Amino acid sequence: MKVFSSTCTFDYSWEEVSTANWRKYCPWNDKSTHVVAVDTLSRTVDSETGILRTERLITCDQSVPQWVLSLFGGSATSHVYEISYVDPKSKKVTMCSTNLTWSNVLNVQETVIYQPFSAKPNCTTNFHQEAKITALCGGWQKIKNKVEEASVERFSQNAKRGREGFEAVLEMSRRVFGEQRERENDRLQS
Amino acid sequence: MSASIAPECNDIKDKYDTCFLKWYSEKYLRGNTTSNDCDELFSKYKTCLNRVLKEKGIDSMLEDARKGNHENDTEHLRRS
Repeated sequence: MKVFSSTCTFDYSWEEVSTANWRKYCPWNDKSTHVVAVDTLSRTVDSETGILRTERLITCDQSVPQWVLSLFGGSATSHVYEISYVDPKSKKVTMCSTNLTWSNVLNVQETVIYQPFSAKPNCTTNFHQEAKITALCGGWQKIKNKVEEASVERFSQNAKRGREGFEAVLEMSRRVFGEQRERENDRLQS
Repeated sequence: MSASIAPECNDIKDKYDTCFLKWYSEKYLRGNTTSNDCDELFSKYKTCLNRVLKEKGIDSMLEDARKGNHENDTEHLRRS
């Protein structure tokens, strides 16, 4: 098993980040183009805790190293199952993802957490991401290592692009939200 | 908004996503967790989506993934 983890801070409130997170993969994000579709499968609010639980299906389309395709077959389209929990009281978003495609070869378990950043909790948000990647194919350890290494590398590239793309989404969200508010204020005044 | 895996569901998905985002930012985050403004749109979107997931065989992959997910629910659905 290999572990990839990264942490960063966004200069936006937790409310802004957790809202924009729902459209992380919209056209404003021109970096994460490998994500081609995001579908919501179920959504419920827990009546006791108020926690919002959402299941989503993420569809990715990306070039896979040729040697991986020839070893394991399959196509370049892959699916990820994501389940997320929003706790509005403690201000915490937790997202757990697992791969549906190639699950007999590789297991990827990713956890992402968004929480207010302790130093400036009202205007900055901490992002923590951890992925555990395990090659399941029987046989040579050498091949397993190679599969895990290639996966971690791809994961870290996507994570970097994901951060950059999300910054763009946050910026656009703030701008659009501000314009909306202005329009509403104008309407109220006229 | 992002696209649906099924192009024929894009319109209804877009309507639902817009409704949800408005509910999330204007009601849910402000403490009104019980309203169900978008239920009707979601049910239409799901009808469209489920048909395609079945056709593509993704529904059975999802069933398998859900079986392994009880731990996450136990851990994250309670108050932290």
